[in-house]
Amino acid sequence: MKQHSVQVFLYELRRNLRRKGFLFTTFGIPLLAYVLFFGYQIITNLTAGNEQAPDPAQEILGSDQFATLQKAGYVDLSGLFPSPDEQLGEILAVYPDEAAAAAAMNAGEIDAYYIIPANYLETGDVTLVMPRFSLGQTTDAPVRRLVLSHLARDVDQDLFNRLVNPANIQEINLQRDASGETTSNFDTDFVVVYVFAVALMLSVFTTNGYLMQTIIEEKETRLIEILISGMRPTRLLAGKILALGLLGLLQIVVWVVALLLLANIATGNVIPALAAIANISLPPDKVLILLVYFIFGYLFFAGAYGMVSAISTSMQEGPQYAVIFTLPAVIPLYFVALFIASPDATLPVILSLFPVTSPLAMVMRISITTVPIWQILLSLALLVILDAGMIWMAGRMFRVNTLLAGQTPKLKDIPRLLRG
Amino acid sequence: MQPEKAIRVEHISKTYGDFRAVNDLSFEVYRGEIFAMLGPNGSGKTTTMRMILDILKPDSGKIEVLGGTLTDTLKDRIGYLPEERGLYRNVRVLEMMEYLATLKGLSSGEARKRSQAMLERLDLAEHAKKKVSELSKGMQQKIQFAVTVLHEPELIIIDEPFSGLDPINTLALKDLVLEFRNKGHTVVMSTHQMWQVEEMADRLLMIHQGEQQLYGPVEDIRKQYALHAIIVEGQGNWAALPGVERIETVENGRKGTLLYLQPQTTTDEVLAAIATTRDMSIERFELAVPSLHDIFIRVVEEHEK
Repeated sequence: MKQHSVQVFLYELRRNLRRKGFLFTTFGIPLLAYVLFFGYQIITNLTAGNEQAPDPAQEILGSDQFATLQKAGYVDLSGLFPSPDEQLGEILAVYPDEAAAAAAMNAGEIDAYYIIPANYLETGDVTLVMPRFSLGQTTDAPVRRLVLSHLARDVDQDLFNRLVNPANIQEINLQRDASGETTSNFDTDFVVVYVFAVALMLSVFTTNGYLMQTIIEEKETRLIEILISGMRPTRLLAGKILALGLLGLLQIVVWVVALLLLANIATGNVIPALAAIANISLPPDKVLILLVYFIFGYLFFAGAYGMVSAISTSMQEGPQYAVIFTLPAVIPLYFVALFIASPDATLPVILSLFPVTSPLAMVMRISITTVPIWQILLSLALLVILDAGMIWMAGRMFRVNTLLAGQTPKLKDIPRLLRG
Repeated sequence: MQPEKAIRVEHISKTYGDFRAVNDLSFEVYRGEIFAMLGPNGSGKTTTMRMILDILKPDSGKIEVLGGTLTDTLKDRIGYLPEERGLYRNVRVLEMMEYLATLKGLSSGEARKRSQAMLERLDLAEHAKKKVSELSKGMQQKIQFAVTVLHEPELIIIDEPFSGLDPINTLALKDLVLEFRNKGHTVVMSTHQMWQVEEMADRLLMIHQGEQQLYGPVEDIRKQYALHAIIVEGQGNWAALPGVERIETVENGRKGTLLYLQPQTTTDEVLAAIATTRDMSIERFELAVPSLHDIFIRVVEEHEK
């Protein structure tokens, strides 16, 4: 690398390292995640200190995540359910008639009450009375528990527990987990895939956005003429690409380290998202592949954004042209559900081999499955060829005539500019 | 003995599509002189400067700079201030000067030292830590010039260096340019301010529509365009003098009368006639040498005819 490129590299490194936007995305986002995590931990611990016994409403309402019912009543006209069992009695009270239940609800002792009619056994009808419509109170969980506890009062505790909660499903997806040794679930995989995909794209777009910004600024201010009077334009571009690429790599490394640390701390936590993070395992080979795809994905966009910057005359214009490259690259994100359910299906495989979409698609796949090595090598080979082409085209466009032109070239001029 | 040449341009031409920007242009710039490039807008001055700097390649012809074809190393010995120029807006003044000076081969420490000294020299030291966007346009122009010469280039090429500057700042930059010339640096300057050329330049090149119109020492060119006339100030009936064809009052706020002489009449004969004529006296007299401004307009008009 020539002296000029080194000077540009060092300067761009210093300048962009101090950017507030870069500092925030690199260090601020992990910091924010830590603050949220520890904030949640503190609140959870405080709450746990106050409530030694498990929340009976939580126990009974179970997985009904929308239920906000705290205490309810019931009037049994069938005579089948004289009183709730001890645990259910914490949230469900029996009233002799509807007037008594209504009075209790008006007094604020209960949120709602159920009326079990005399012909309940034949019809299964139950009426729920509540002061106003509330989605969180329309649960039937207390009644189901009441019925179960009376109808199955003679069965043993284990059998009863299975009646209440028939299965805790552990999923093994043989298509995804080829070895059959790993287990995963949709929530966890969704978070992992999303974290990886968003991290890669955010870093690539942020750093290349800065690349475009610095070039267009030099064109707008006409500083570009002073710069290229002392060095070849391609050396200017090379210095910038290397500096911003290194910063992008630093960003990814900071995020990965922060994520691994958080995953370590988050083990055993109960929030689904944090539990998902706790389940993330990042073996060194996967981290290495992630970094390799970052580098080659970055180079593709560096070439693309270099070309766009060379022909754009303002910061308003540049990002509009850049969409031509960014939009196809994020196609895998539209199929995230397919990637999670069947990461080795035809479409995810094709997207992870096709060079424009491969950085994102392959990172999404490797985060949840074991991708055959030949697919990784083929995908990388195709990506390297595309990168070389893009950088070559950026070099052709990044020339004096284009850089000093006061207006954006027309589409028909592009082949001529590429020919030189 | 031929003076040493800083630039040698031989028969260069440059075409953009159907437009011929420069046509078979040849000239030389001597080391240690201020060389002015003149011409109307679009005459090819900037294109010629860009070709000298190897920013643009000529379609034909040959250019030698500082003794050879321009290389990356030689480029570090040149300072260039283009006509349309700017600076990073959100970067601090000192930091930006340092960066641009390191691109010209100075070490970081040396670049900082020289930047600080130059800011002192231009009365801008207190603005060193400010962002460029916080400075006035005049201050920014001074800094642009400072950046051009920080690395003490042997050859300084400046395109319209005084445009948009107030008289005080113009004077400050003019002094700096003259100082560099006096230290032996070569300056190639393009400007529309003809009086600056008259005051500062040793030689000039005037281009119109990409072709050379005038080329040589400033004084020689002015003499070459001298009128067969004298300007006199005093008392008398000037029109009655023998050998005077017609008279005109001198314009542009200057005093005196312009006496156009008959072709065969010499200046000495007219002065002798004044001295021997009663009721006629002179307080001042000078040869009627046109200003560069007048020559410029005359050349352009003649060429367009």
